[in-house]
Amino acid sequence: MVIFMLSTPLIAFSQRTITGVVQDADTGETLIGVNILIKNTELGTITDFDGVYSIDVPKESTTLVFSYVGYSDQEYILDASDVVNIKMSSGEVLEEVVVIGYGIIKREDATGSLQSVSAKDFNRGFITGPQQLLAGKIAGVSINTEGGPGSGSKIRIRGESSIGASNDPLIIIDGVPMDNTDISGSRNPLNLVNPNDIESMTVLKDASASAIYGNRASGGVILITTKKGKLGDATRINYNGSISSGSLIKKIDVLGADEYRAVLKEQFEEGHPALGLTGEADTDWQDEIYNSAFGQDHNLSASGGIGRLPYRVSLGYSDKDGLLKTDNFNRLTASINLTPSFLDNRLQVKFHGKVMRIQNDFANRDAIGAAMGFDPTQSVFDPNSVYGGYTTWIIANNGNPNTLAPSNPVALLDLKDDRSSVNRYLTNASVDYRFAFLPELRANLNLAYDLTNAEGNVSIPTTAAFSFDDLNGGGVNNVYTQKKENTLLEFYLNYKKELGKNVIDLMGGYSWQHFKLGNTFKDSDVAGTPSETREGADPAEYYLLSLFGRLNYSFDDTYLFTFTLRRDGTSRFSPESRWGVFPAAALAVKLINNDNHYLNNLKVRAGWGITGQQDIDDYYAYLARYQTSFNNARYQFGNTFYNTIRPNGYDASIKWEETTTYNLGLDFSIIKNRLSATLDVYQRDTRDLLNNIPVPAGTNLSNFITTNVGDMVNKGFEVSLNATPVLKEKMSWNFAVNFAYNKAEITKLLATDDPTYQGVLTGGIAGGVGSNIQIHSVGYAPSSFYVFEQLYDDDGNILEGEFADRNGDGVITEDDKYRFNAPNADYIIGLTSSFNYDNFTFSFAGRANLGNYVYNNIQTDQGYYDRLYGTTNVLWNINQSAIDNNVQNNTNLTFSDHFVQAASFFKLDHITVAYDLSKVLGHGVNVFATVQNPVIITQYEGLDPEIGNGIDNNIYPRARTFLFGVNANFTATKKKK
Amino acid sequence: MFQYIYTKGIPFFALVFLTFSCFNDLDTIPIDEDIVTAGTVYNDPAAYKAVLAKLYAGLALTGQEGPSGQADISGIDEGFGQYTRGYFHIQELTTEEAIVGWNDQTIKDFHNQSWASGDGFVFAFYSRVFYQVALCNEYIRETADEKLDNRGVDEALRNEVRGFRAEARFLRALSYWHALDVFRNVPFVTEADKVGAFFPEQIQAADLFDYIESELLDIENKIASVRTNEYARADQGAVWMLLAKLYLNAKQYTGTEKYAESLTYCQKIIDAGYILEPEYRKLFLADNDHNDEIIFPIAFDGVNTRTWGGMTFLIRAAIGGEMNPTDSGVSGGWGGIRTTRQLVEKFPTDLGGLVIAPNEGQTGQYPKIYVPGEYQGWDASNTETSLSSVNSDQIYEGYKYFPTDNSKFIFTKFPTFSLSYGDNNADGTLEINGDTIVTDAAGIYYLKVDFNDNTYVMERQEWSIIGTATAGDDLAMSWDEEAGAMAVTANLSAGLIKFRANNDWTINLGDNDGDAILTQDGADIIIEKPSTYRILLFLDKPDYTYQVNNTSFDSRAMFFTAGQNLDIEDVTLFTDGYAVQKFRNVTSDGAPGSDTDFPDTDFPMFRLADVYLMASEAIVREGGNMEQAVEYFNEVRRRAYNGGGGDITVAELDLDLLIDERARELYWESHRRTDLVRFGKFSDTDYLWAWKGGVKEGAAVGSYRDIFPIPSADISANPNLKQNDGY
Repeated sequence: MVIFMLSTPLIAFSQRTITGVVQDADTGETLIGVNILIKNTELGTITDFDGVYSIDVPKESTTLVFSYVGYSDQEYILDASDVVNIKMSSGEVLEEVVVIGYGIIKREDATGSLQSVSAKDFNRGFITGPQQLLAGKIAGVSINTEGGPGSGSKIRIRGESSIGASNDPLIIIDGVPMDNTDISGSRNPLNLVNPNDIESMTVLKDASASAIYGNRASGGVILITTKKGKLGDATRINYNGSISSGSLIKKIDVLGADEYRAVLKEQFEEGHPALGLTGEADTDWQDEIYNSAFGQDHNLSASGGIGRLPYRVSLGYSDKDGLLKTDNFNRLTASINLTPSFLDNRLQVKFHGKVMRIQNDFANRDAIGAAMGFDPTQSVFDPNSVYGGYTTWIIANNGNPNTLAPSNPVALLDLKDDRSSVNRYLTNASVDYRFAFLPELRANLNLAYDLTNAEGNVSIPTTAAFSFDDLNGGGVNNVYTQKKENTLLEFYLNYKKELGKNVIDLMGGYSWQHFKLGNTFKDSDVAGTPSETREGADPAEYYLLSLFGRLNYSFDDTYLFTFTLRRDGTSRFSPESRWGVFPAAALAVKLINNDNHYLNNLKVRAGWGITGQQDIDDYYAYLARYQTSFNNARYQFGNTFYNTIRPNGYDASIKWEETTTYNLGLDFSIIKNRLSATLDVYQRDTRDLLNNIPVPAGTNLSNFITTNVGDMVNKGFEVSLNATPVLKEKMSWNFAVNFAYNKAEITKLLATDDPTYQGVLTGGIAGGVGSNIQIHSVGYAPSSFYVFEQLYDDDGNILEGEFADRNGDGVITEDDKYRFNAPNADYIIGLTSSFNYDNFTFSFAGRANLGNYVYNNIQTDQGYYDRLYGTTNVLWNINQSAIDNNVQNNTNLTFSDHFVQAASFFKLDHITVAYDLSKVLGHGVNVFATVQNPVIITQYEGLDPEIGNGIDNNIYPRARTFLFGVNANFTATKKKK
Repeated sequence: MFQYIYTKGIPFFALVFLTFSCFNDLDTIPIDEDIVTAGTVYNDPAAYKAVLAKLYAGLALTGQEGPSGQADISGIDEGFGQYTRGYFHIQELTTEEAIVGWNDQTIKDFHNQSWASGDGFVFAFYSRVFYQVALCNEYIRETADEKLDNRGVDEALRNEVRGFRAEARFLRALSYWHALDVFRNVPFVTEADKVGAFFPEQIQAADLFDYIESELLDIENKIASVRTNEYARADQGAVWMLLAKLYLNAKQYTGTEKYAESLTYCQKIIDAGYILEPEYRKLFLADNDHNDEIIFPIAFDGVNTRTWGGMTFLIRAAIGGEMNPTDSGVSGGWGGIRTTRQLVEKFPTDLGGLVIAPNEGQTGQYPKIYVPGEYQGWDASNTETSLSSVNSDQIYEGYKYFPTDNSKFIFTKFPTFSLSYGDNNADGTLEINGDTIVTDAAGIYYLKVDFNDNTYVMERQEWSIIGTATAGDDLAMSWDEEAGAMAVTANLSAGLIKFRANNDWTINLGDNDGDAILTQDGADIIIEKPSTYRILLFLDKPDYTYQVNNTSFDSRAMFFTAGQNLDIEDVTLFTDGYAVQKFRNVTSDGAPGSDTDFPDTDFPMFRLADVYLMASEAIVREGGNMEQAVEYFNEVRRRAYNGGGGDITVAELDLDLLIDERARELYWESHRRTDLVRFGKFSDTDYLWAWKGGVKEGAAVGSYRDIFPIPSADISANPNLKQNDGY
């Protein structure tokens, strides 16, 4: 295996001596026996037992090449310094090589827009889902993670290209495309993968890169590769652990008890019943429902090679509380990766096994809204309350809980027991065989089985006022299960041949995927009253079949051409329309290729491709179906109740939604690759949008149907910059910035052309059942806010209930609403930097969104005086904005553009300080401290400006978390050379 | 190079593409046993009735789960999209009969008469109507003879299915009538059109009228004979009723009057054996499926037929303020719909027969002592059983009713036993912790305690009313436990009364200021008109008060007034405007329905009293036998007044009386907008009501608002549609 290179001094005309140390980039461990070669010569040396080398270099030589088994080759362009310390990165997938669909490619040979992030650049902090590792790292990728422990994230790559279908990217873990639908009882389907096991993540942004995954790639593709053992490696044990504590950053500004009493006195005349309802207490309900969130995280892994069997096994344990009391996330993960090779490496086998067990305690999130509304002068407990001892608003004349009053927030938390346990097993094995008689040809077979078993139950005792039912007994006793079985079979052949300066790489394959879902539920009250018990099961399945091929052709390592073609079939559509063809092509030219001191690389790229979308809720959208009703939906004939059978609406001709992407890109690096940048400009045209629109009345068996109607376009550009301003032996500094602009516009919504069509309302809000604040309209961004234009007095105060008569007809009607901004940011900026001095490392990562707007539903739903006293003898707390804006009536707020508020922000996601104890302890031990979410800069008045759908209504607050951890590596034996 | 790709590449791709051909996997069918495909659903003969049940359920339910889930239509909150709830929005909220102050979307626009073509609620109702049409069309297609032939349906089932099919055609005609009445020129789809993407033509109102008429006439003898079908299924009676309604309003639809035809079908119904339910209130209770008046109901059930619209809405949205939800058989109210002064004023002023309401006076402010005893369970903490000191002079007085002979009691200064007074030796003087005091025979006792000298007086009395209204007789009063008062029910002539004790004027009470506060030797109380009255006398504590109820009153005025203002200052406040307690989820004997969230009460869409009033109106309009018209009218009045107290004469019967009588009889039953339009009193007219046109005093709006706009969503979806004028 190991090639020996003798250090052979040659003819000594003008030359110099370069010395340095080679270390493992992750562990800091010095590496013994690393090959160092002067590029384009046969001159070289190897490092000694301390990882030190020394080499004489001819003056005209410019580049050293470092190579080491199990590590990526690294080239270093020499400068004036005679000391060159190198950190080599382990693993096959790093800067140099990136994973693409059905293969890997050298980064510099990529023709599409793709970017990858490796483990050392991941975000830090208490991270339970892989998505969060990427936040802010990649231009044009927005990752919005919710506040609860173990929560999932909404990922958007280059905005949203669909309205009625999914905008989520396809996520592929070790070659297995995941089912990205939610799992019952789980906060994040990707919790399956322990972030500590991840080696790298690659994002395929444009269609020329992602079209090879045509059928599910419209939202982009994220490829996750987990860590593996290396052949010949010594056994390495890694422990990575942390403890953390999170706390609330900000509270919603509601009235305190004294302030509240004062406002009541001011609002109501003496003798008004409202004044008699206050209590004596001073309760901050937000203090009552939130607490510090403790967390601990432990990961243990062992990797290495046993004989010819490289392996890595890992165990992970996370336990994290939520800010909301009673919220807890507990996860156990285990993974095993085996990557043996046989037949002189002609047969390579990869086996990946992942197991996850999650136990969730879900806090009752209704408590968040209730805490905003509950009278602060009431105490939490009331000794006379028959409802578990919690202070409860009751109806005076029958003693029952008042259903129109806020529930006691603490009772909501304490009395609802909502827990789940989710087990998920993902195994996949791939076999890659290179034919002996035709070494250019290899065959790859990939099989995967993804099994999820989830179960959960929700129980609420009969004493809970919020689940009261004097007739049937009340309480809740719900049990649910979910079983998901996803199976994958993929096979492809790959043929790669060099013919002089021509390199041809042909790949063709077949993919078969089956998704099967089985839900069961039994909802009941505690007494198990038959009329209150509902049971059901709704199994469903769908298949995706694909044929795909790709041609990569390069000439002279300068001109690179890619063509891919994928033909996809889905069982969701009818035999006539179920097949879609998704082609893509790209051309790249390396104008400058590793050969200049200052402008080191320059590559231009142009790509075009079409991707498809079929991911809608309905698994049988084209099929005429009849559906039997539940027992609570029967109809009486005579004295018998009949379960009804309903013909469902359907669209027999539903077909693929298609997104065409055009991408122009430029990659360059200068100053010895110390500064590299990528620029992309793109346009994405989506047509035949899978969209839920009104059908002509009477023509279908529903009033809305999901069908292919509408077009939209996304345009944008992206810039990524990586720089290493300082790189010295004891000190280095690097930073990365990315910047993305995206503008989305709906260009067509109807089968007919009706310029007066206002669009489809969306974005449900609190403050009126069924009220929507957003609209999809032609000529505007999706989900634009649809509001009245507020009028103000000369001092800039709201004129309550007065809006601009925009159509000038003298009255204010629905027709005076207009489209005012949209929730998605125009600009997304990411910023990462790390500074290293000797054993210290200081790093941070931050993000900014500019031009995003949020509808402050808290202020519109809670910020008006009339809320103080309902007509049912109940008091409600109000938001401070009622006083600031001096607003009396809810009706006057709900659709005012005043509450569509600018929510641009800058957030530091984390600041980390790490100290390397290797020199002290002799092993690779790193201790670190992280503050997650330390800084938020925004003009937005609400709790948090980062709100995915742009509607701020009782969101789960994100914690500020302090975390201390240790990362320790132990190598069993020194590596044998 | 390209040669190379051509010779090696293409075959290579071809190989890969051809190798795998197990594409049949894509032909999946649902694996959920609740779902069957259209091709196989009728393999089960029971499906014919089950799908028919869905056509009816489309009028009651919103989806297949109940109360929500697997919704039939979307784009709206599921409960809002329920058929009869949407119909109520259109027919009632737009009129003087109902107003709502919720902040839900544009719901206030109905009463303001300011709805626009983009209105979500209007679109929801329109969608419901055409959903029904589409469901019925699908059923009519699937029950065609050739389909039945192909499935080999046997003759017995085939006969049954023919009836089902006629009912489906009735339900389609019903929804088309709603479409005609509310929207006029609408898209027209029949069983001849298949499900799929096409643009239906717009039919003109007169043509739609003809179509509905022809359908109804065709099924008149194919559907079950009158009063023979299972409960809640349409029969000949429902067909006749729809014809009668169609003809009565024909002038609005076609410009041609058809009152004679309307009268013909009204009389068919009247002759068919339907009977007015003797008690009006029972038509709207949880057991209203057991009466002979309702011609066509929409059935609801607390367990089996659950929705957030329908009767759940109609009952719960009407409850708020001080109303006790339990009285209506539900767990809580939604504080929504009330009514305006204009409906209330259509009824005689003695709402519920109340001629004189009691007045508690200053009683609450007088110093009190307490009287625990056997009669009230020795409950010292009961502050209701007290005596008051009107002059704060340590002299306390009042009356207590002792239901048994030799009943024991004591006096306490506080609502505890800590400082109690009894009477040792029964000598009329009080001692601290003295012996219990014992009454003589059961009855009402006057009690007076003087703590200046620790004495007391206890005197049993007989109370009566007397005066010119009683022809000078003493009419004895007896104890009414529920009211907590002495009471008497009597036929009085117009005249005067007073209350007196022991058939003697020594103790007598009259009302000086007409404020229901009684004083010794007070003025005579005036009884204005002869009738049967129930009179209550509240003697428990001073200030003494009384109540006079006329037992012959319009029993249809079911308003809840306590804590409610008659006038509406603030539309958003439930307490502005009288509440309506017409529909309730309790049975006629007071038991709650089968569930406290979802009522059992059925919605009486068509009922006999409406037919009497329609017949009366048709005669008045057409000219004819006015005695007959009055007789029909008085049928309805006699039930309302529990006798002839409300009868009218030929001279009194005119259209103004008829439109008001329709309000009194049918309010909140979703007839009102159609009625007001027919009488020319809906939009551009001087008949105003509170907040009509968005103005407190009421304001007229353009006459184009007699019908609703075609929803803009359908105008956009279907280029064949032309919007109604004015919108």
